[in-house]
Amino acid sequence: MKAAPFAYVRPATLDDVLAELAGGDGKVLAGGQSLVPVLAMRLGRPGTLVDITAVPALASATVEKDGYRVGAAVRQRAVEHDPAARAVPLIGMAMPFVGHRELRSRGTVCGSLAHADPAAELPAVACCLDARVELAGPAGRRTVPATEFVTGAMSTAAGPEDLVVSVTFPAAAAGEGYGFAEIARRHGDFALAGVVTRVRVGPGGAVTDARLTGFGVSDRPVTRDVTGLFDAGETEHDLRPATAALAEEVVDTGGDTHGSTGYRRRLFGVLAARELSRGLRRARDRRETA
Amino acid sequence: MTALSDPVSSRTHPAPRERVAADETVEIAMTVNGTEATVAVPPRAHLADVLREQLGLTGTHLGCEHGVCGMCTIMVDGQAARACLLFAVQCEGADIVTVEGLGTPDDQHPLQRAFSAHHGLQCGFCTPGMLMSSYDLLRSTPDVTAEELPEQMSGVLCRCTGYRGILAAVDDVAQTYPDGVPGPKACGHRTLVGRGSGGGSGAGAPAGEIPAAALPEQVELPSGPPSAVVEVTSTLRSPVDRVWTVLNDFDLLARCLPGARLTEVLDGDRYRGRATVALGPVKLSFDGLAQVVERDPAAHRLRFHAQGADAGGSATRADVVLAAESGPDGGTVLTAHADVHLTGRVAQFGRALAGDVSRRMFEQFAASVDEAAETGSVTAPGRGAQLRLLLGTARDTVGALARRGLGRLRARLRRP
Repeated sequence: MKAAPFAYVRPATLDDVLAELAGGDGKVLAGGQSLVPVLAMRLGRPGTLVDITAVPALASATVEKDGYRVGAAVRQRAVEHDPAARAVPLIGMAMPFVGHRELRSRGTVCGSLAHADPAAELPAVACCLDARVELAGPAGRRTVPATEFVTGAMSTAAGPEDLVVSVTFPAAAAGEGYGFAEIARRHGDFALAGVVTRVRVGPGGAVTDARLTGFGVSDRPVTRDVTGLFDAGETEHDLRPATAALAEEVVDTGGDTHGSTGYRRRLFGVLAARELSRGLRRARDRRETA
Repeated sequence: MTALSDPVSSRTHPAPRERVAADETVEIAMTVNGTEATVAVPPRAHLADVLREQLGLTGTHLGCEHGVCGMCTIMVDGQAARACLLFAVQCEGADIVTVEGLGTPDDQHPLQRAFSAHHGLQCGFCTPGMLMSSYDLLRSTPDVTAEELPEQMSGVLCRCTGYRGILAAVDDVAQTYPDGVPGPKACGHRTLVGRGSGGGSGAGAPAGEIPAAALPEQVELPSGPPSAVVEVTSTLRSPVDRVWTVLNDFDLLARCLPGARLTEVLDGDRYRGRATVALGPVKLSFDGLAQVVERDPAAHRLRFHAQGADAGGSATRADVVLAAESGPDGGTVLTAHADVHLTGRVAQFGRALAGDVSRRMFEQFAASVDEAAETGSVTAPGRGAQLRLLLGTARDTVGALARRGLGRLRARLRRP
């Protein structure tokens, strides 16, 4: 389980990083917690690893007017313990499920997005919140919504010469509540099925908007507007028939040794109903306390 | 705006580094268990291999080598990380603590004592990873509850069902230290021996004999605690003044030591030599330097420092005192006391085996000293003598092997 030989460089500036990536034979190394296993199993053999951790501009997380912006070299565990990250409650809810402590201390938030594992938590959070991913490449900078950034299993809108510079998660608004749950064989493993929810209520407490992202159930995070599901009622029990029907449509991954398609649909339906009703309760709590 | 920096690390960004070609070896300086260490590595060498093979710190175990099992968990800049998911070239300037830095056999860390008390060790393969993961947990979350432990400790896999004891040990320490567990206890200066080769890529120095010139002019002893303390006594027939004659003649003395050969006599009571130690398939050939630091004819006492290194990266340093006293029936009681510092592969054999081999060698040595004292010369211990040494060692260690798991040790011995 040794990586094939590769060249290594740790540039000082963003421009130097892009220059190293030009040509398409390089691969960005930030935390490496997803990349190194791929190298170790020789599923990937990049010519050069471009370590971006010496670029100061990529190493900070900041609260800005449009949300919480996380630079490409910021580690997951730093975000987990950053008080400023509380502006985005879903980050705090999802982070304990991202690998293990030992992996989060090296792994980066942007790296998890760029790797785009279908069962990973942070891409699902980004999709549910409609986070914005900032890319830099030969054609300059551009910003892509998270739902368009992930294009398939371990595939993204970033080209081989592009760098994910940052991701900006919108801050929580008054009247917004969230839910997060996943079922994995062991805590910290990739989810067999997982659900992220965001529910908005109006001043009277009625649901105005509900959004759900499933992960581990398809080749990418699946995001749906599920406001209409609350027409049947608000409790977990009321929501169950509708989420079961949703599972039939959303869960399109095949079965494997850890669970059949039917099992994953059942997990998804149960988690979706629970986390939507939980999100609603929290949204009302936040509306009242706001 | 909130700028982030790692709360437990002074290091925010590593320095930039020029391109290193795939077949190139680059020198990386880092701090390992409180000691500055520089290693020469190719880019693809991961940190766990470098710690084990170049620095001799084999406490960091390797299981899956792709980040799943957690055996290789160590502390990097104050936070636990998988050493197999980090390339050494990324660790320039990093502060690394391995399980060797956590505590010593004589001054164990509270977690080590608790693992022992709660029987959280079992086969022991996951123990270094479990210790480092739980150390990280209790440093960062001292108020962790017993209910949270199964999730928090899930980053390291145990294969032999030792979980209950492990969790009980961690919970015990968490309750004993509500304000945070003490820091590493063995991060002082120690000797880390490099092999000079990154290994694996074909880059770096080829494995071969370490030239004698590579040895220093003086023997420098590490200041840390020794890996093993050997104290053995033997009763000889020869009278004490004749035994002292042998001890006082370093050339004769060296010939009494099985497998040893004096190659050069230097000024200042210094001697170059070569010693061969064989144990089953393990063969170590040490090029060494010995330096007499004390000769006391009145007390019949000789003290010397010795240092040796073999091509495989093993190294040994020792502070040896030989003392002869008058014994019963006009004979002599010969005592040897050695503080032995082992690094590299030889250190894997552990204190018990190292001590046992040393004791066997000393028994042969004492017999040869007796012969030299009587006759003025030594019959060079031939293959037969060496074979007896090995058989004796093997027989004595059978009990120990059974206790530690014969298969495990066999696997170790077979390692090329």
